[in-house]
Amino acid sequence: MSAATAPLRGPWRSVAFRIALNYGLLTLFFMAVLLSIVYFQTVVGQRHHIDRQITLASQRLVARFVQGGAEALTEQIAINLADGVDSDSEVYLLQDSSGQRVAGNLPAAAHWRSVGDAISSQDTTRGGQRVRLRVVARALDDGKLLVVGRDLRDQRQVELAVGRAILAAALVALLLVIVGAYLFRLDIETRVAGIRRTAARIEAGELHQRIPGADQGDEFAGLSQDINRMLDRIEDLMAGVRHVSNTIAHNLRTPLSRVLLRLRQAQRPGTPLEEMHEAAQTAVREIEDLTVVFDKLMQIAEAESGARRHGFAPLALDDIATGVVELYDALAEAQGATLTLATDDAAVARGDRDLLASALANLVDNALKYGGSAGLPAAVQVRVERWGEVSRIIVRDNGPGIPAAEHARIGTRFHRLPGDPARPVPGYGLGLASVMAIVHLHGGRVLLADAAPGLVMTVELPALPG
Amino acid sequence: MWRCLIVEDDAENARYVAEGLREHGHVAVVCRDGMEGLQRAVSEAWDLIVLDRMLPNEVDGLAILSTLRNLGKKTPVLVLSALSALDERVRGLNAGGDDYLTKPFAFSELMARLEALMRRARSGPEVRELQVADLRVNLVNRSVERAGTAIALQPREFRLLAYLMTHARQVVTRTMLLESVWDYHFDPQTNVIDVQISRLRQKVDTGFALPLIHTVRGVGYLLSETGEAAAA
Repeated sequence: MSAATAPLRGPWRSVAFRIALNYGLLTLFFMAVLLSIVYFQTVVGQRHHIDRQITLASQRLVARFVQGGAEALTEQIAINLADGVDSDSEVYLLQDSSGQRVAGNLPAAAHWRSVGDAISSQDTTRGGQRVRLRVVARALDDGKLLVVGRDLRDQRQVELAVGRAILAAALVALLLVIVGAYLFRLDIETRVAGIRRTAARIEAGELHQRIPGADQGDEFAGLSQDINRMLDRIEDLMAGVRHVSNTIAHNLRTPLSRVLLRLRQAQRPGTPLEEMHEAAQTAVREIEDLTVVFDKLMQIAEAESGARRHGFAPLALDDIATGVVELYDALAEAQGATLTLATDDAAVARGDRDLLASALANLVDNALKYGGSAGLPAAVQVRVERWGEVSRIIVRDNGPGIPAAEHARIGTRFHRLPGDPARPVPGYGLGLASVMAIVHLHGGRVLLADAAPGLVMTVELPALPG
Repeated sequence: MWRCLIVEDDAENARYVAEGLREHGHVAVVCRDGMEGLQRAVSEAWDLIVLDRMLPNEVDGLAILSTLRNLGKKTPVLVLSALSALDERVRGLNAGGDDYLTKPFAFSELMARLEALMRRARSGPEVRELQVADLRVNLVNRSVERAGTAIALQPREFRLLAYLMTHARQVVTRTMLLESVWDYHFDPQTNVIDVQISRLRQKVDTGFALPLIHTVRGVGYLLSETGEAAAA
């Protein structure tokens, strides 16, 4: 099983799961901090509240004692215990110096000591249960001891309840994080699965497959679009390769079999020396031609593969045009044709000088070859201009032009115009294919237009600023 | 006479080059393997080396070339390769090759290039004026005169003539002209070079009894007073 079709093993192998889980754990940590704050605020706040109440109650009782003596105090304690407010938790004790309880709901005990205003926690037995109390014990002027406090049983229960709630919340949150991570992972995996399925099918040879859902506008859609574009390009290239191998098979085999036939004939015994010599010469010529075809195909393939782009540099197109026109002016002169040049030095593009010169040479060559009709000499104009964001090289001739129906097929390898059978023009049908490949390599395009009469070939390249 | 080392694994190609060189009166030694080629290239004295790029035994032509250059040896090297892409040519020349010829090739092209290489390797101090018969070319003020009459040439025509004069009595091929005079490394479809030469020929030879620019059929051109290439 290939890597592309192997399922992801275990949740830990899934990036989505790990991301969700890490995010969840982070959330959990923050929650723990928040819950701790809640816990301490509730519990500690409640304790302060209790202490304040104890202080207040004891101060009130001491004041009562100062005003009305022991009887008033005893009465007040009885009232406090009977008023129904906090009667479960509030505790009072008035104990005389001999350790006897005078009033209150706490058993008298020897261990009560006056500690002034300080509230302390004390364990004691109340109603047969060990309970924790929060108390203040004060010595009164007549030698009695007043103990005021609160039974912390209720408080403890509240604390326990809060703690349990926090624990439960934490457990539920952890569960939610895990479930969330799992769902998140499922979602991501579903999106990735589309890409993986397409990749697997392409690997299996279905080159026309594309990733679905590339129009949804999210990150995955963006990725899918990029991959789909790449696949389009690969498919184009593959189609090109197939086309080339087919046409090579056809266009190279024919001359090869011609050569072979000639040579086999010459090999037969009794062939005159002159004929053998001629056969050898024909073979040499044909093979030289084949080499040219082969070189051109290689050049096109090289341009199409885009391998040359790393050598690109800013180029002045007027220099290239000047060089090519200089190369061809003697030929034009010899043919009685005219070759004129108009340049614009703002036309600059990034590219490969040799390739662009070769493309332009091809166009000029064609224009000189096909330009001119009905006895008129060819008149070829080469113009270089800057047009906003594009730099253009325009080659215009005064020939018969190319019928509009043929425009789409121009640039197909080995495709040749029907032309005039009485006036065959040498060539292999590779020139324009190579021009197209070179211009595409440079990120430009080739436009054909009718100049009535004549053909206008425009090479548009992205211009460099400046 | 040159002592030539041919490092080439294809027996037929190697034989073809070696025999051709021997016919021209040179000594040719063939190495069919990269390792041996490297050893012999480094340890013996050669006038020139013809080097194939793809060789057996894990030592390729470029490795031999860079080793040679790293050792400071300046022996002219012509790289002979089936790798014809411009990138590959650049790689070959960057590694220290003096010239690059792609297969399939004509022996005459190889010979013309080797002669140009040898000439360059031997060239002495900077030449300011060249002369063949009564044709004089001044490279400094870019003037041309024949039998005392000035000939007006366009800049490109001057470079063409200057190249032919620098390689006087040697065959130069169309590709060599395109590469050196125009600095183009592509094959123009039509024989534009032929037309350029014939225009130059009109200016240089018309009206003179002795033709200087000669066409060598199937190969290229030759500038000489006799129409014959000088023996190297």
